[in-house]
Amino acid sequence: MEKFLASIDRRYIYIVLLLVVLFPLIRPIGLPISISSWTESFYAVIDQLQAGDIVVMSIDYSPSGGPDVGPQAVAIFDHLMAKNVKVIGVSFLAEGPPQLQQIINPYMEGRGKTYGVDFVNLGYAAGLETAIAAFNADMKRAFPVDFFNTPTNTIPLMQSVTDANDVKVVMNFATGIPGPAEWVRQLAGFSPDILIGVVTVMGPQTEPYYQSGQIKGLLSGLRSAAEYEVRAGMPGSAAAGMDAQSLGHVVIILAMALGNLAYFLGRKGGAK
Amino acid sequence: MNLSVGITLAAIMTIACYSYLWRENTLYRIAEHLFVGLGAGYSIAMGWNNVKTNAINPLLNDGQYILIVPLLLGALLFTRFLPGSNKWLARIPMAFLVGTGIALSARAAVLAEFVQQIRATIIPLNSVNNILIVVGTIGVLAYFFFSSKFTEGIPGLKYGALVGRYVMMAAFGAAFGNGVMGRISLLISRLQFIFGSWLGLM
Repeated sequence: MEKFLASIDRRYIYIVLLLVVLFPLIRPIGLPISISSWTESFYAVIDQLQAGDIVVMSIDYSPSGGPDVGPQAVAIFDHLMAKNVKVIGVSFLAEGPPQLQQIINPYMEGRGKTYGVDFVNLGYAAGLETAIAAFNADMKRAFPVDFFNTPTNTIPLMQSVTDANDVKVVMNFATGIPGPAEWVRQLAGFSPDILIGVVTVMGPQTEPYYQSGQIKGLLSGLRSAAEYEVRAGMPGSAAAGMDAQSLGHVVIILAMALGNLAYFLGRKGGAK
Repeated sequence: MNLSVGITLAAIMTIACYSYLWRENTLYRIAEHLFVGLGAGYSIAMGWNNVKTNAINPLLNDGQYILIVPLLLGALLFTRFLPGSNKWLARIPMAFLVGTGIALSARAAVLAEFVQQIRATIIPLNSVNNILIVVGTIGVLAYFFFSSKFTEGIPGLKYGALVGRYVMMAAFGAAFGNGVMGRISLLISRLQFIFGSWLGLM
């Protein structure tokens, strides 16, 4: 038995995982999605914003982390647009501006919103934490032009902001550095609430900032994006993937159980 | 099925990357090299655009001559690639970068990552969560207390360190679980792309 378990080709596990994840994507099961306190807090901060309020979305993730954290940013941007909140999009990671552009593209082509008035993509500023500090102190100086090389001081949305105190909320969606630590450090002394969205692996290490109250809400991975979509009443791609996520976890748990069984049976039989 | 060049190419590259799971192959290596090359090229282009926007254009168009200083410092970084004994010149901008970075982060780190985090553990022991936070924090701190042996010296240090060890093992387990969850999320996204955006089956 243990020899059989130990000799299973890992590629069979990949095939089983692929099929199990694919099936509910094509034929959804509709497993319930509960809302965590992290997501509820995040939603509460966004929901209390008024039409005309200005927020910052810092898109600091690359395409490799995009599938995990991107759906969060999409859901929140849609929610903000529905509430007529104005969004200043920035990035301190070179790969960030095209990711931000993907989020705002549907609104560039209509939906009753205007680029430069309702939202803006300021592009990328090099320098990581130093650039974040410069942005918080003087936004237009840190970004002299936007993603399309339009001078920032001619963009209507940027007329009413100077520093970070002029916005209600700063959101950071990150896959590493710069990320929550850099934003929490550099926003100390400024007034906006901080909301964080990270890839799943960064969730536990970011939680201390949430427990201490330094950030007001935390989203971790695709699961949190699905929770937010459901909470905001706008189910999208993240919610559609939750059946697959749950069944995928079942396969992984079974594989781990079988692996451990093979190990203990082998040890009991004297094998090393 | 969407046969536009961008979508089809992205789908083929996705399949090429996942083909590594079967075994290493030429298609995977092509995708890998393309990714590295495109990534490096993109980063250089974005970096150059940043230098142009923030330094060269204001210098040439607006006469902000003070920007010659950071441009020169930036250029000095490349002296490490020079032959001979001039490599030390790169240390000047490097020292400037390190000094500025440390000053900026240290200024706020004391409050944001030290005082606030300590404050977050000074809580009433009136719930299981609060007790776990306090006991876990003290246990992990005890584990990393190296001024005395666990078996002698400070009484209770041995048991404190043991608690800390189990707390860390639980944390590593949670991190691994989150890692698995993240990888499944990536797979879901790519399957949604291939079977939805490309093949139109969703």
